[in-house]
Amino acid sequence: MIPEQFGRVAILLVFALAFPVLPLAASYLFGCLRYRPDNPSPIKQATYECGVESEGTSWGQFHARYYLFALGFVIFDVDIIFLYPWAVNHAAMPVIVLFKAALFISILAFGLAYAWRKRALEWR
Amino acid sequence: MSRAALPPATPMARQILDHRSLLQRARTLPGEARVALALLGIMTVAALAAVGYLVIAGTLDGRWYDIRDLGNGTSHLVYWMERQGWHPAIPYLTTGLLGGLGILSLVGGWLVIGSWVERRLLAKFQIRQGPNRNGPFGLLQPIADALKLIQKEALIPIGADRLLYYLPPVLIFIPAMLGWAPVPWAARMSYVDMNVGVVYAIAISSLGVLAVFLAGWSSNNHYALLGAMRTVAMMVSYEIPISMTLLSVVVLTGSLQLSQIVAWQQQYHVWLIIVLPLAAFTFLFASTAEINRTPNDIGEAESEIVAGFHTEYSGMKAGLFLAVELGNAILVGAMMATFFLGGYTLFGLETWIPGYLILATKIGAVYFVFVWLRGTLPRFRLDQLMGFAWKFLIPLAIVQLLVVAVEALVIEQSGLPGVATVSGAILVNALLTFFGVRAWANAIGYRPEAGASTPILTTAVGGLRAAARLQAVP
Repeated sequence: MIPEQFGRVAILLVFALAFPVLPLAASYLFGCLRYRPDNPSPIKQATYECGVESEGTSWGQFHARYYLFALGFVIFDVDIIFLYPWAVNHAAMPVIVLFKAALFISILAFGLAYAWRKRALEWR
Repeated sequence: MSRAALPPATPMARQILDHRSLLQRARTLPGEARVALALLGIMTVAALAAVGYLVIAGTLDGRWYDIRDLGNGTSHLVYWMERQGWHPAIPYLTTGLLGGLGILSLVGGWLVIGSWVERRLLAKFQIRQGPNRNGPFGLLQPIADALKLIQKEALIPIGADRLLYYLPPVLIFIPAMLGWAPVPWAARMSYVDMNVGVVYAIAISSLGVLAVFLAGWSSNNHYALLGAMRTVAMMVSYEIPISMTLLSVVVLTGSLQLSQIVAWQQQYHVWLIIVLPLAAFTFLFASTAEINRTPNDIGEAESEIVAGFHTEYSGMKAGLFLAVELGNAILVGAMMATFFLGGYTLFGLETWIPGYLILATKIGAVYFVFVWLRGTLPRFRLDQLMGFAWKFLIPLAIVQLLVVAVEALVIEQSGLPGVATVSGAILVNALLTFFGVRAWANAIGYRPEAGASTPILTTAVGGLRAAARLQAVP
């Protein structure tokens, strides 16, 4: 069942890749045929910076606040994925399972409250 | 002096004043055209009556030419191929290619007309004309745009990482196309009726982040990297509310299969937007962030960081970035319609109207809401957006999830009739939405009485103390 379904997705992936590649290839072909302009120069190819020359490279250190959000995202997303199997079977389960799931969710909520308390959610 | 007595000030004003509706134009048609239109109308009514007779008589059900569900045709094709004794891979590949072509033509066709629709609608919201020069009503404008983009010089900045620079315009199409796979268009008409459809949809939609970040990083441009960072931060933050609201949908319907979620709504004759209004609102707002649309297009805010992560892209590559937004918009519309608006069903009318047309109408309605939001709301600040996701949507989604879990148990195990339990759930959720939102906004510091001139809610959820301090300065 599963390989059959994802084989279909693989066929769709071929279409998904062909769709953007075709116009790009057409544009490239136009360039080869001299149909579209293709005269690169250092000025044209300079990094865009609103009229001034760009200072240095942008491949460097970045502010840590993004890192905190990414960390929070990973924790929450993994936990939510763990909850999906419970969610599917939930209605057929005895009531005690609900309390166990609620315990799991409350750990999540506690983590959120902790992050909030530690001001990890502030955009500083 | 009456309004009509004033001469129009500008050509634009003249155009608006001279505007006539379609009905007014029809009144001035020549006689032959009227006769032709009348004949066309009679033929349409006759065809509809014939189809209606076939539907009532039941002679159409499940035949290959029953186009109410295009799955009939393909299943007959598969059956025929199996009878020929061919290798089972052949019907599999054939149906896969047919469905792939269908999705390709859907997305491709929308990219052709979508930019026209969006620009015309936005123009209406802003009392402008929109593109109206190329072709009738400006319908050829997207083709002119595409021709222009494909002929433009393809520049690559000197400092860019060339391989990574070429990848994102291609990669960003993968979620926009693959996301269509589990969407059910009619009872037997979905590309793959996946048993893990919801998880697949979440997983595929989060792939877009990678292409965005690759684009921003490989350009080696400060604006591009800043835009990519913002977009990634926002997209990952809003993915959690989306996952949690879909979790409550799954808890209620008890299935990850999109066709089963539609079947639940069909079974109880209610749309999930009525049962879970808070979840529906969260999904709608968070998905505008997920697909980077105004008001949440902080990653490509023109007024701040040029064009965000695709600043350095030109020609066809930039065109692909612009095009994929349209594709993503209708994909999210399809998800919204399937999860919360009943999918391809319309309270029994799906027997008469093809399900895919119903779904397309619902997608169009959601898309209209997206354009409406874009034409109405200003762009939010990044700290407001992040705060809204983490401090407002996620806590409410957690509460919603727990409440829905109890309701699902009651619906399934109490033995009461479904009408009573589902109505009770609707009532409880409506109360939760109304009072929960108010109470939580109060708890995190929102005071509506404090005066509309200061953005109290945004300061409270954004946690931007600097802004509060600035407002304290006289």
